[in-house]
Amino acid sequence: MGTEDRAQTETGGVATAAASILSVRDVHKTYKLGRVKVPVLHGVDIDVRPGEWVTILGASGSGKSTLLHLMGGLDRPDKNEGQRASIKFEGTELTKQSKRALDRYRADDVGFVFQFYHLLPELSVVQNVCIGAMILHGRIGYMRQRQGTIERATKLLERFGLGHRLKHRPMELSGGERQRVAIARALINDPKLLLADEPTGNLDLKTGQSILDTMIEYRERAGLTMVMVTHDERIAERADRVIRLVDGRVEGVPDSSIMGSEHPPA
Amino acid sequence: MYQALLTRKYLTRKIMPMLAMVAVMLSVATILVTWSVMGGFLKTLIESGRTLVGDVAIVWPNVGFGYYDELMEDLEADPMIAAATPSIETFGLIQLPDDRIELVSIKGVDPSSYSAVTGFGDTLWWKPIDGPTPKDHDGEDLRLQDENQDLMERVYNNGLRMMRENPATGIDEPAGVLGVEVTGLNYRTPWGGYEPWIGNRARPDGGIDRVELFMPNNGTVGLTVLSLDSNGRPVDPKTITMPIANEFQSGIYEVDQQTIMVPLDVLQRMLRLDAAQRVELVRDDENPFAVEEDPVTGEIRPKMREEIGLDPARVTTVLVNGAEGYELEAVRTRVQEIYTEFASRHKGEVPSAFDMKRQVKTWEDLNRTMISAVKKETGLVLFIFGIVSFTTVFLVLAIFWSMASEKTKDIGILRALGASTPGIAWLWIRYGAAIGIVGSVLGTAMGYWIVSDINAIHDWIGRTTGLVIWDPQQYYFIEIPSDVDPQKALIVFVVGVLTCVLGALLPAWHSARMDPVKALRFE
Repeated sequence: MGTEDRAQTETGGVATAAASILSVRDVHKTYKLGRVKVPVLHGVDIDVRPGEWVTILGASGSGKSTLLHLMGGLDRPDKNEGQRASIKFEGTELTKQSKRALDRYRADDVGFVFQFYHLLPELSVVQNVCIGAMILHGRIGYMRQRQGTIERATKLLERFGLGHRLKHRPMELSGGERQRVAIARALINDPKLLLADEPTGNLDLKTGQSILDTMIEYRERAGLTMVMVTHDERIAERADRVIRLVDGRVEGVPDSSIMGSEHPPA
Repeated sequence: MYQALLTRKYLTRKIMPMLAMVAVMLSVATILVTWSVMGGFLKTLIESGRTLVGDVAIVWPNVGFGYYDELMEDLEADPMIAAATPSIETFGLIQLPDDRIELVSIKGVDPSSYSAVTGFGDTLWWKPIDGPTPKDHDGEDLRLQDENQDLMERVYNNGLRMMRENPATGIDEPAGVLGVEVTGLNYRTPWGGYEPWIGNRARPDGGIDRVELFMPNNGTVGLTVLSLDSNGRPVDPKTITMPIANEFQSGIYEVDQQTIMVPLDVLQRMLRLDAAQRVELVRDDENPFAVEEDPVTGEIRPKMREEIGLDPARVTTVLVNGAEGYELEAVRTRVQEIYTEFASRHKGEVPSAFDMKRQVKTWEDLNRTMISAVKKETGLVLFIFGIVSFTTVFLVLAIFWSMASEKTKDIGILRALGASTPGIAWLWIRYGAAIGIVGSVLGTAMGYWIVSDINAIHDWIGRTTGLVIWDPQQYYFIEIPSDVDPQKALIVFVVGVLTCVLGALLPAWHSARMDPVKALRFE
């Protein structure tokens, strides 16, 4: 992202829905816990522009992970009367997509990074990274580009300092190394959108900073759009824009479709 | 693609799938061994049942039918028929050397043609043999001993001819062949052979005689039959003393325990089925108006005169052996056709073709009761084992359910990476199929190995633990059947795989329907 764009954000510049890569409108989400309904999101509106790094900051239980899952097509918003929930990615309405289309969206356009890494324990490091490509391309497609995929996975892992760990299994890695593998897995299909759910939440400060540096460096080089969920103000400070989520609502913005950064750029 | 990778990893990195594979392997092997052994048992029994029957039998019990030589000529002239032999079957009483009297089935056979139609010669027990029987590890069989070779040769030939030399006259006389279990004087050895009875008998003077009773050498039996007239009424009983030429073992205990074979002509004479002159009263044609008094009733009747005719010898059964390459049913149909032609030439003298329609029977018809009983037993045993093995479905289901629960987070991760619900379901079905294939391959191989070496394994268990399940002294087949039918093996294999797939379906469906968000939060 260029300085000019960032300046626009800093000064509370308008990010219109038309210019955004991801647009969230009037999204509500309620979970059922037995007979009790627990509302999590109360009409959230967010726009994310291409190449932007948006951090969603909020306390535990504020609904930030739920919002991330909705953006990633892992879940669907409520369909209540009078509400017109909409989540658009590059102009495509995700709420109206079939399951199959959402599977494709997650495989092709989105990369997920989780707080607890979520690696598959039976697979080696390089297999964990390649599995995203296997899912995306299917058997025949993957076999055609198997070599290329493995080379790309190897390069990513080398870039993240894991070139010597390719054949290792997740259990043999430190927390920081595991998260780097998870990031490489999220990036293997060259996604347009990286969704990260507290990626440093399970790491010590130094390792967390190192992981963050890795992600920032890659994002800047690849021009990747990134939405990161965190409760850590220090991480939020480094984002292009911060959206505060309190009790399922975007805080302090009358028109929540346009969110301004509250912090200077990193 | 990811399914193949994960299936391989899940199979090799976890103890649970190994246990499932072992369960499948044992189930498949158990079913295959049971089916093969029971199937082999049935096959052996059926073959044994066929041994003394041939392929097709024309049966007219009790009074029998004449002109059978002509019928046999007709039969043997047909290309579908290899050979035919006459026979008589009846019941009678046998007086054994220890004075017991038993009810037996008496078969009158013509030894040479009977051998051509059936496996009679092979069933003769006392004969020279080339090597020990499978369980006779120490070569204890009397038939193997050098000093017995002449005796065995002689009694074998006697059996084939159904003749034995009378030591007093030096003349061969008709002799019977006993079922090897009839007298109860043949001791059945632990290795499944026989040894003649040797015992002591008290003398009137207080001394003791050592008695060695080898029936084909010096044994005789008393035979009593009751002939029936054409109305089924008993005529006077007839008793003879019959020397024994040899003993036979057909493989069917019931047959060997209550059958004696005697030369056909001997039984024909005893049952009055031999050729005989017949006196018939015919109307005196010289004077059609002449009358006379009936000497029995005293009534007046047209004048009759006596005419001497010839009643041909009769048999109750003609056994037929079909030529190579013809179906059993086709042979039976052809025999019926030949009999129809034969009956049309002897109207009123032999049972009509209509009457005989149900009396032309295949060897399967004749042994139907025995075969169907064993088939039912086989089916029952398989059913029970099938039910037991069906628990494998639930075992696989339980293991898979447990694994799917354990792998909930993996499912969430895969869904987050874009895996579809059918893709997740396929992962588990494929996993089930993989366990089924590996387990069934190992189980089939194990089953093959067990069945092929079942006798050696059984012997080893017997030697090591003293546990003898298949005791040749008690069971009639010396060896446990050890043939595996590849078709049966294939069926068991396929069912083994399908069972596992079936067991994997529910966990697959459960996993596929799992909410990915909940799956990711699963701890």
